[in-house]
Amino acid sequence: MTTALVTANPHGTISLRSIAGRIGFLPALLVMLVAGMSAVDPQFYGIINVLNILRNASLLAIVACGQALVIIAGGFDLSVGAVVALASVVTAKAMAATAAAFPGNNALIIASGVAAGLGSGAVVGLVNGFCVAKLKVSGFVVTLGTMSATAGVGLMITNGIPVYGMPEIFVKGFGRAQALGLPTAVHIAVIVILVMVFAQRRTLFGRYVYAIGGNVDAAVVSGVTIQRHIVGTYVVSSVLAALTGILLTAQVGSGQASFGGDRMMLQSIAAAVIGGVSLRGGVGRVEIVAVSALFLTILGNALNLLHVDSRLQPVFLGVIMVAAVALDELSRRSKPRV
Amino acid sequence: MSDLELSVGAKDPDRPRLTLSRRLWSAVLPVALAVLLLGFATFDHGVLSSANLLNIAQQTSYLALFAMAQTVVILTRGFDLALGPTVSMVSVGTALAMAGATASGHGTAAVLLAGLAAGFALGIACGLFNGVVIALLGVNPFVATLGSYNIAIGIATTLSSGRPVQGVPPLFSQIFYGGSLFGVPAAIAITVAVGVLLHLLLARTVFGRSLYLIGTNPRAAAVAGLPVKRILVATYVLCSGLAALGAIMMTARTGSGEPNLGGALSLQAIAGAVVGGTSLAGGRGGVGTAVLGALFITILSNGMNLTRIDGYVQMVVLGAIVIIGVLLDRLRQERRQ
Repeated sequence: MTTALVTANPHGTISLRSIAGRIGFLPALLVMLVAGMSAVDPQFYGIINVLNILRNASLLAIVACGQALVIIAGGFDLSVGAVVALASVVTAKAMAATAAAFPGNNALIIASGVAAGLGSGAVVGLVNGFCVAKLKVSGFVVTLGTMSATAGVGLMITNGIPVYGMPEIFVKGFGRAQALGLPTAVHIAVIVILVMVFAQRRTLFGRYVYAIGGNVDAAVVSGVTIQRHIVGTYVVSSVLAALTGILLTAQVGSGQASFGGDRMMLQSIAAAVIGGVSLRGGVGRVEIVAVSALFLTILGNALNLLHVDSRLQPVFLGVIMVAAVALDELSRRSKPRV
Repeated sequence: MSDLELSVGAKDPDRPRLTLSRRLWSAVLPVALAVLLLGFATFDHGVLSSANLLNIAQQTSYLALFAMAQTVVILTRGFDLALGPTVSMVSVGTALAMAGATASGHGTAAVLLAGLAAGFALGIACGLFNGVVIALLGVNPFVATLGSYNIAIGIATTLSSGRPVQGVPPLFSQIFYGGSLFGVPAAIAITVAVGVLLHLLLARTVFGRSLYLIGTNPRAAAVAGLPVKRILVATYVLCSGLAALGAIMMTARTGSGEPNLGGALSLQAIAGAVVGGTSLAGGRGGVGTAVLGALFITILSNGMNLTRIDGYVQMVVLGAIVIIGVLLDRLRQERRQ
C-alpha cells in the first residue's frame, strides 16, 4: 500500500490528502461515528442493535448497488422503491396461489414466489431500459413514469392490503433465520456486493458500463454496443430492488405494497452519491457505496438512540448529503486538471 | 439582448421552412386535450358542465403555478426536487406566523402581513440555499435539492409536530381562496397574473433570455460574459418564491398549515412541465408549456375521477402518460433537425 502510494506520487511525499483522496473520507467518518456512539451509549454495540443495523444496511446496500450501476452508466433509477413494493406483493401473491394449487410442496411454492418476484423486477427493468436505450427518453422521466406505474400496479394487485399465505419455512427458515450469527440478508448482501465488485472490475459488462458513463461517443466509436448494456444496468438495478423486496417480505412475513417507496429510492440515491458515484457518470465503486449504505443506516440508528426527534432526522440526512457532495466537488476543483 | 437572441436563434438557421411542421406539432397537445375532454364527456355529461370546467380551471391553477416554478429551473438544465417540501414548509410557517400574530393581539392586516412575510421568507431562504449550493458549490441540482428536500420535510414536520397548524384567520382564506377578481376566483386570477408576468420576464428581459442561453449552452453563456452563477441563484430563488406563493394559496384553500401539503408535488410539477414540452436538456419551454402540461394532467385525472376509474389504475395511466409525452417531444425535436 505504501509503495503503491509512493510510486503514484512522483514527489515522494505521502500527503494526508493523497491518502484521503484514495480511501475517501467516508470510512473515517464511519469510524468516528461508531467510536463516538459506542462511547456515548453502550446500547449501540449491543448485539441486538448491531444485528438490526446490519440487516437494514444490507437491504439498503443491495438496492444502492443497482442504483450505483445505473448512475455510473449515466442514468437514474427512480423506480427502485416502487419495484421493492411490487416484488414483495408479487412474491406473496404467487406463493399464495401456488400454495393453493400444490399444498404442502414448499420447495415449489418458494421457487415460484421468488421467481415471480425477481421476474416482476426484471420486467420493470426491461421497460426502463427499453425506453431509455431504444426510445432515447431521459432516464429521469422514464423511471419517474415507471415509478408511478409500478406503485400503481402493486396497489392494484393488493388494494393496499397486506398479502399473507406464504409457507412458514420461508419466513422462519429464511427471512428471520441466522447463519454464522448473522441474518440471511447480510449474507445475501455480501454475495451481491462481491459479485458486483467482480462484475465492475473483471467483466466486459462492468468495464463497458464505465466507458458508456464516462464518454458515450468514445464508447460508441470503440465498438461498445451501448443499448444492450444500458438495458442491462436497468435490469440489474430492478432485479436487485426486487431481491430486497423478497428479503423484506420473508422477514416481515407478508407482502406489502407499502415497502420501499420514495424513502428507499431517495436513500439509495443518497447512498450512491455519498459513496462517491458521480452523477455525471463513469465514476463510482460498489464497495464504497455499500460502506455508504452502512454509514447512512448507522447514522439513522444513532439519531434514534440519541433521542433526536424523528421529525428532525431528515434535516441531518439532507445536510450530510449536500456537505458530502460539496466537499467532493471542492476537492476535485482544487486538484489540477490533467 | 440582440446578441443573445442571435446566438439562441443560430441553432436553427433555416427557420421559415420549419415553422409549418413546428406549428403542427405544437398543436398536438391542445388537440389531445380537446379529444380527452370530449372523450370523457361521452361517458359522463358532468365533465363539460360549467361547474366542472370551473373546477378544472381552479385545480389546474395550482399545478400550473408549480409547473411554472419548475420550468424556470428546468430551463437552466436544473430541477427542484425540494419544491413539494418547500410548499409544506411554507404552509406550516405561514400558518404558525399568523396564529402567533393573532395570539399576540395584532390587527387583522398585521396578521395577514406576518403570514405572507413568513411564507415568502421561508420560500426565498429555501431557494437561496438551493441556488448557492448548486451555483457556487457546484453540486449537482439533483443532489442539492434532494438534500433540501429532506431538510424542508424535517423543518415542516418539526415546526408543526406533524399535525395541521390551526389558527389561520378566516379572512386569509376569504382573500386567497374565496375571493374573486371581476368574477374570476382568486386562484385562477393569481395564476393568470403570475403567468403573464413570468412570460414577460422570460421572453422580454435579459434575465429571462439568459436562462435560455444557460440551458442551451452554459459555456457560451459564460463566455458571453453573463454572470451565470448569480443568475442561477436568482433562478432558484424565483422557483421557490413561486412555490411559496402556491403554498400560500393552497393553505388558504385548506384553512390550515399542512406539513404534508407538498407530498408528491415535486414530481407532479416536473411531470407537468415535461409533458407540456419543456425539455429536461434545458433551453426549451416556457409559461405556455407549463400551463398546457398542468391542464393536461388535471383534465386527465379529473376525467378519470368522474368516470370512476380506480385510483391505482390512474397512477399507472399517469406514469405511462409522462413517458409518452416526453417520447412525443423527442420525436418532435428529431423531426425538427
